[in-house]
Amino acid sequence: MQIDIRHIAKLARLSIEDEKMEKFQHEMETIVAMCEKLPPMDDAYTAVDPSNPMRLRPDQVKPSLKRDQLLKNAPQVQAGCIVVPKVVE
Amino acid sequence: MTAASLSEKLQKKECSAVEIAHSVFGQIAKVEGTIGSFVTVCEEQALEQAKEVDRKIAAGEDLSPLAGIPIGVKDNICTKDVLTSCGSKMLSNFQPPYNATVVDKLEQAGAVIVGKCNMDEFAMGSSCETSYFKPAKNPWNPDYVPGGSSGGSASCVSAGEAVLALGSDTGGSIRLPASYCGVVGLKPTYGSVSRYGLVAFASSLDQIGPLGRSVADVASLYSVICGKDPMDATSAQREYGDFCQGMNRSVKGLRIGIPQEYFGEGVEPQVKAAVMAGIQRLAEEGAQAVNITLPSTDYALSAYYIISSAEASSNLARFDGVKYGYRAKDYTNLIDMYEKTRSEGFGDEVKRRIMLGTFVLSSGFYDAYYKRAKQMQQRIAQEYADAFQQCDVILTPTSPSPAFRVGERTDDPLKMYAADVCTVTVNIAGLPAISVPCGISENGLPIGMQMIGPKFSEQMLFDVAGCYETICGGFGIAPSMKGEGGQTK
Amino acid sequence: MNYEMTIGLEVHAELNTATKIYCSCQNVFGAEVNSHCCPICTGMPGTLPTLNEKVVEYAVKMGHALNCKINPVSKQDRKNYFYPDLPKAYQISQYDIPLCENGYLDVIVDESGATKRIGVTRIHIEEDAGKLLHDESFSGSLVDFNRCGVPLIEIVSEPDMHSSAEAKAYLETIKSILQYIDISDCKMQEGSIRCDINVSVRRPGDPLGTRCEMKNVNTFSGAVRAIEYEAKRQIEILEAGGTIGQETRRWDDAKGQNFLLRSKEDSQDYRYFPEPDLLTIVIDEGDIQKWKEELPELPNKKLKRYMQSNGLPYFDANLLTENPEKAAFFEACVEKGICKAKNISNWLLGDVSKLLNEKNIMLSDTCLTPEKLTDMIAMIEKGTISVTAGKMVLEDIAFSEKTAEESVKEKGLAQISDTGALEEIVKSVIAANPKSVADYKGGKTNVVGFLVGQCMRQSKGQGNPAVLKQIIETMLQKD
Repeated sequence: MQIDIRHIAKLARLSIEDEKMEKFQHEMETIVAMCEKLPPMDDAYTAVDPSNPMRLRPDQVKPSLKRDQLLKNAPQVQAGCIVVPKVVE
Repeated sequence: MTAASLSEKLQKKECSAVEIAHSVFGQIAKVEGTIGSFVTVCEEQALEQAKEVDRKIAAGEDLSPLAGIPIGVKDNICTKDVLTSCGSKMLSNFQPPYNATVVDKLEQAGAVIVGKCNMDEFAMGSSCETSYFKPAKNPWNPDYVPGGSSGGSASCVSAGEAVLALGSDTGGSIRLPASYCGVVGLKPTYGSVSRYGLVAFASSLDQIGPLGRSVADVASLYSVICGKDPMDATSAQREYGDFCQGMNRSVKGLRIGIPQEYFGEGVEPQVKAAVMAGIQRLAEEGAQAVNITLPSTDYALSAYYIISSAEASSNLARFDGVKYGYRAKDYTNLIDMYEKTRSEGFGDEVKRRIMLGTFVLSSGFYDAYYKRAKQMQQRIAQEYADAFQQCDVILTPTSPSPAFRVGERTDDPLKMYAADVCTVTVNIAGLPAISVPCGISENGLPIGMQMIGPKFSEQMLFDVAGCYETICGGFGIAPSMKGEGGQTK
Repeated sequence: MNYEMTIGLEVHAELNTATKIYCSCQNVFGAEVNSHCCPICTGMPGTLPTLNEKVVEYAVKMGHALNCKINPVSKQDRKNYFYPDLPKAYQISQYDIPLCENGYLDVIVDESGATKRIGVTRIHIEEDAGKLLHDESFSGSLVDFNRCGVPLIEIVSEPDMHSSAEAKAYLETIKSILQYIDISDCKMQEGSIRCDINVSVRRPGDPLGTRCEMKNVNTFSGAVRAIEYEAKRQIEILEAGGTIGQETRRWDDAKGQNFLLRSKEDSQDYRYFPEPDLLTIVIDEGDIQKWKEELPELPNKKLKRYMQSNGLPYFDANLLTENPEKAAFFEACVEKGICKAKNISNWLLGDVSKLLNEKNIMLSDTCLTPEKLTDMIAMIEKGTISVTAGKMVLEDIAFSEKTAEESVKEKGLAQISDTGALEEIVKSVIAANPKSVADYKGGKTNVVGFLVGQCMRQSKGQGNPAVLKQIIETMLQKD
């Protein structure tokens, strides 16, 4: 199966260096070939499992994190906010 | 020494927690350069924790069996203000402002956290070679891998750098290194241990679990970490007892299922022989071997790589250089920052899985890959349910071969993935499984046997594994690591 | 050439729960940047979501209000895309099994109260994203995560609307329902309701045209402008012989224009898949029923009742039912049974509204009660005070603990209807205005109004103008 590595990389926000491209392409195709071993199945499939329902959380406020703790791992901070390159949209 | 015997010594005041900690750090100083079990060693903090335990002992307070016991924690489990790197450049500076639920539980129990264990990057790997920092090595022979992804968790226990360790298991990441390093490792039932604070690889498959040098130690650590957690919506709503209580029940009348699919061509004869010998020993104790079949086993690896990579591609999307972790130095705009950060911050194996996961979820391919894998997952779970009508526990090899040489499989992803062939079905079906040492290979490396039970049957697994251990003995600290300090005087 | 436009709306409404949708941080607007955040809503590694039970309840209530089928078993899904205001790089939403689906809303489209049925495709729950702050003086953008995890419902309509007026009526009805069942603050200026608009045009009888989606519409009047603009843009393209491309466009309300964001070719691939960190949502049938029973009378039903039972014109009924506070106040006034419903409506929609608007406050911020207001109106109806005096009383009783009667007494506003007293005033006014008298006699009868005014002034507003008018006319004719 031919895989559009550049398209997938773009979706995943990865850039693959040109010199690694061929190797990557080959590896991905091998892995996808392995995955293609799965036969088509008629088995009914639903992503819900009502026999194992989720416990919901009560709507009660708990303290938030202090801002210095929240931002202590951020690469760039200004005026209590995280800084990113200018967003146009 | 096991945690159980150390705990007894502490209670009897034959030694102090600080002494135990010193002895472990002594061993770390000796062997860590060779083995590389840790990304971070927390000596100062650990000694503080040990002092606190000693103070409590002196004050006559009631203590948990884990109090004062040195423990390693895999580096994808969040520890407040202590580097939690996931073995990746991406998080090589990340200090979480919170503890994982299991870490809170360890601290409450008075366990002494000696360090953060080395691992394959973001738990993706079977050899501990994809760690950004350094590969961990097998304490039985440092030319060999310790297995992965919880390689450092298994190697620190095997090398005497800790008594117990926490790992995480998404497709075999606790059991495989446990078997390669000759220790005991449990992958608990999905939902029995909180995942809050475990940096997610594949949310629907990940589970934190214990590694130790004896079944009893593993049971005692599991007793502390299991339980429902309101912070984890997938955590099961049920109560758990103390798993150390009922240990060593007889296996008389126990039906052991032997699935033929796990003893096929891909499995090395010496591994088959060791596991069959183990089954024979249990049969001698009164257990009854039953041949069963798990027909979809051949498809499990494909289903596993699709599901786990799909979830991983989404779980690892948050590493974008904005909020925490690595951010590329030079970039021209937002998209460029994303792409450079992620391309420089992730290693190749992580990129492969993100790419695979992105592909199988992408428009036009979802049904042929992701949906099919989920159908296969249902089918595999059903086959297990059917099998447990005929037997109480299923025994298989943990891996088709013992540990391989460092570097041997790094260029062939499929060969690397094959190491997980015996373990992935358990995650896919959400079942518990324990790996115990059951033999030594021709080149002197441990071989592991996997025992799989129905959901929430951990107690039975501890019983059977404990019984087996009583008959055959565990391995303790790896031979080459012994006599170089040990746990206590 | 004649064209018909077709409009579908996606309304996002922030819910007014105490906490966020997936963590226990307080759900509050306008706080200091990054002050209501935790590791969960900022997507730190290892954290997990837990679903707020109130979010499910509120969404189901809205489902009932919009006549939807409620799915007792549903799930959540991840919508994957990279953006700095989305810390996990995916939004937890609902893809193929929303909480509510297949509903409708009857929208009142003309003054007779006639309705048009707009289909509601689905209502699902999801989390809001953070906010990006831009500053000209600064080369980057700043990220504030406070809004991350604020609960949203998305209400998706069928493409059943064919004019901007219908779309506006739909939006206004949705807004008032949200307020009636008290699940959203509906503060447009805070962005608590936003909508995406799908517009297409076609010649009558043709199949549906290609639609374009407009994002970033934050007001209802903006929605009207955006729809008109987009329809015109599409018609111009078609008239010039062009074809419409399926596009996503961004509405810029200040410029009154929209701009291309992306065309179909670069449409985003969100790679939806079931959220593995959350289990199946299973809602108890008893709860579903209970929440239905808890719904109050909804605005459209109320509106019709005001027209039919209270005899109000559409204009009044529509404004009174706009928000539940006003409607409840009106009904409490009517219940007193001491004055006419139309007069109550006039006061509420006239002077009371003016007062509130001037001070930018709500009814509940004043001391006005239905009892005080109806007492005052009743005094006017009986002629005890004049309308002018009523306006003064209103200001007084709205911001004090005084009753209407106390206020009238204190200000000495009781109207003089005693003919004897008024005759004296009229006499002196007539004496002081010989020119007006002459004008009247010359046939300019409209000077009576002027004279009444003069008498009112002299009586310090207390004279009963009707009585005054009568006395003036009698005296002038007598002379």
